[in-house]
Amino acid sequence: MTFRSAIFITAFLLVSYSSVDAYASTDDLQHKINANHITNNQTREAYAQPFAGLSDAELEQFFRGRNLFRQSWVIAPARDTAVGLGPLYNRIACVSCHPKNGRGRAPEDENERMQSVLVRLSVAGKTKHGNPKPHPHYGNQLNEEGIPGVPGEGRAQVQWEYQTVTFADGTKISLRKPQLTFSELNYGALESVQTSARIGPVVFGLGLLDAVSEQDLLTLAPQSKPDGVSGKVNRVWDSASQQYKTGRFGAKANAASLRGQIVEAMLGDLGITSSLLPKENCLPHQHQCLAAPNGGSPELKDNQLADLEFYFRRLAVPARRKINNTQVKEGETLFADLGCAVCHRPEMRTAKNYPHKHLADMRFHPYTDLLLHDMGAGLADNRPDFQATGSEWRTPPLWGIGLTELINEYQSYLHDGRAQSFAEAILWHGGEAEKSRELYRNLPKAKRKAIDQFLLSL
Amino acid sequence: MNILINVIRRRFLQAAALVLASAALPASAEPQTLTVMTSYPAEVTARIEAAFEKAHPDYRVQIIWRMPQDALPYLQQPKQGGVDVYWSPSPRTFNQLKTEGAFRKLDLDLTGLPETIGKTRLRDAENYLTATEMAGFGFAINTEKLMAIGVAPPKTWRDLTNPKLAGKIAVPNPARVGFAPVLVDIPLQGYGWDAGWALWSEISGNAELLEQGGSFISDKVGTGQVAVGLSIDFFIASAIANGAPIHFVYPDRGGINPAHIAITASTEKLLAAKTFTAFVLSASGQALLTHADIRKLPVRPSVYESLAADYYRPFVAATQCELDYDNDRGRNRLGIISSLFDHHLAYRHQEQKALWKKLHALEAAGKTQPQLRTLLTSVPLTETEAASAELQKQFRDRLEGAKLELRAPELIWREATDKRIAAAQKLLEAL
Repeated sequence: MTFRSAIFITAFLLVSYSSVDAYASTDDLQHKINANHITNNQTREAYAQPFAGLSDAELEQFFRGRNLFRQSWVIAPARDTAVGLGPLYNRIACVSCHPKNGRGRAPEDENERMQSVLVRLSVAGKTKHGNPKPHPHYGNQLNEEGIPGVPGEGRAQVQWEYQTVTFADGTKISLRKPQLTFSELNYGALESVQTSARIGPVVFGLGLLDAVSEQDLLTLAPQSKPDGVSGKVNRVWDSASQQYKTGRFGAKANAASLRGQIVEAMLGDLGITSSLLPKENCLPHQHQCLAAPNGGSPELKDNQLADLEFYFRRLAVPARRKINNTQVKEGETLFADLGCAVCHRPEMRTAKNYPHKHLADMRFHPYTDLLLHDMGAGLADNRPDFQATGSEWRTPPLWGIGLTELINEYQSYLHDGRAQSFAEAILWHGGEAEKSRELYRNLPKAKRKAIDQFLLSL
Repeated sequence: MNILINVIRRRFLQAAALVLASAALPASAEPQTLTVMTSYPAEVTARIEAAFEKAHPDYRVQIIWRMPQDALPYLQQPKQGGVDVYWSPSPRTFNQLKTEGAFRKLDLDLTGLPETIGKTRLRDAENYLTATEMAGFGFAINTEKLMAIGVAPPKTWRDLTNPKLAGKIAVPNPARVGFAPVLVDIPLQGYGWDAGWALWSEISGNAELLEQGGSFISDKVGTGQVAVGLSIDFFIASAIANGAPIHFVYPDRGGINPAHIAITASTEKLLAAKTFTAFVLSASGQALLTHADIRKLPVRPSVYESLAADYYRPFVAATQCELDYDNDRGRNRLGIISSLFDHHLAYRHQEQKALWKKLHALEAAGKTQPQLRTLLTSVPLTETEAASAELQKQFRDRLEGAKLELRAPELIWREATDKRIAAAQKLLEAL
């Protein structure tokens, strides 16, 4: 297939897709800036803004949720309202891994502890629901910390392997790839383990992603796409509804609902139980963990879960910037021409019958298709997750990505934060994205810069 | 000869033991874990933790997060629950813990760190604790909202009694919000007990009382739900540094709340504890506390030299007598003040607001009501009574946020409020 024909097919697919509107024009995007789900806030708090038009009572609930997200959790027993940290955990607050609602950051070297990165663990096989089979001694996530009297599970270190890639114009760029090592293991050997490092992802706009209909994703997945791009849904077990659903959250689309994603992160990262996941995160041989006091049953009260969910559903998406800038426009065209927009879809639509009416039947611009794609060996973690293979990843939304450095004071892209620039992130694309990556690698510097400018405008 | 052989044998065995011992150690030794109890938010702890571990890779910090009211019982456990360092913005908790012998004397080089600011001590006279940062108090304002209601930005506490601000002010209830007891005590010292309480009665008559502080106040001001929010400064300064469309005013009579650090008496990691404490007090540690997400006021004056011109300079303000609040004088009565505010002003607050609205309307119409004003501004406790050691003892453990059974004085204050409201309503009915 020629590049020109690929563009034609891409455009055709985007136009003909039944439930998702055509690729929005620049003017259309400008018009959308006035939508409630978009914030015009361009400050370091841009990722933490509520939808416009909330009532005072709704704002109160939003702020309660925000406080919980920023709250440091307390070791039980205590008289506080956020009690029950651990016994095993990664960090003491949600915001520790999602600083300012943005991305986490990978350590600089093996001497720096995991500040906003966690390591998923599993062994070969699946659970009865199809989850990755937890490691018998460490479960499905390395909890580095333990409350006093409960040994943390151990420490993970990142060492970087470097390789050089050369652009067609001769410019060289260094890419780094993490190698994980483990130390101070307190619960036995970590043998035959599958690992996957993950930085905390951005948390705004999740209500919109939750509102995309399953049917839209099931329709989109099998449609033919150019240049060997496929795309599939991940059918996953949803903790919230206790049924199989289409995954849409997480680096491998391994969580299907916002509520399920919240309770799983609360338990996995902080050791906070909820009415949906009421059992502490202790394995049978972790005796001190089992004997530790808890912060109530459950520790995250239902009203707190409701506040958190309310908060995430109403976290607005930053408006695009400089959309009429010539370079931005050129970059946007190149983004489509290179085939990036096939997976990083500029526009999606929420379900007409979505129960939260403020999110129903809306067009929005996430730059994702929420589908799994094979990204090649370079990015593979070789850790299957439900139906995602070891080299498949969900297309991450790109909205708001241009504010990363302003808000977080660093750049940290891809699931493990290995990429420290847009160029690095793009060059790690392989598998289904290999052709697009090569087209990018062959671009002259000025056009690469235009793509950068476009991404900075998101 | 035998002695020599024995010596050689002993030396050989000692050397062999050393070789065996070192072989048993891992190639790179694990960092020593230092346990720090704090009530600082994750933004603060994460930055300090990361910078400290980078500067001192031999140590690893474990944060135990506890609000002040929960820190006391934790540190009263055997071996103080394994806590090595306590670091928190709660002078009352430090004072109580010091009284209980919870700390050991600091043996650190404190050169460049003043002992006082204004009338506030930054370092314990006996050297058990020292301040690591400070916070001021004042008014977060939404200029646009103030303009819309035709009110100039308030500069003094008295400006907050302007009837045009009715319903447009947010005041944190000191019985619920950690920083608010000192906030309430500042005008009580600044204007005198009776005039101060009269002021608070009128301000709260204009206000919405908040059960939560922190970013709630900047949110309320930033979103225009209120025009003025009374707050400790760093929440607001951080919001402003992050782009919030609000401003902060330090009133003419202000005060400082120091946050302290101390090393626990039972720490078994003294060197690590001292290293951490010294790091927080160092120029680099102090500079971290000025980050846009934290915005504390460093206690090391030299750090201000490299800060932006609009960063508040408390050491300069203190020389101009703007920070004359005496923390030592206020400390023992903060529990009483908080509870009194709760039962005297927050109790039946809506009815009290309605009374103030009617009084303001009458006064605006030229119908002064001295008797009604006297009723609304009277306080059921004298300053001398509040200084009673017996009464203070009853409220010593009543740290903000604690919800305990009402005590006898509180029932009396409530009864006084009931009578005051009834009398005021009767007066109004008779008009």
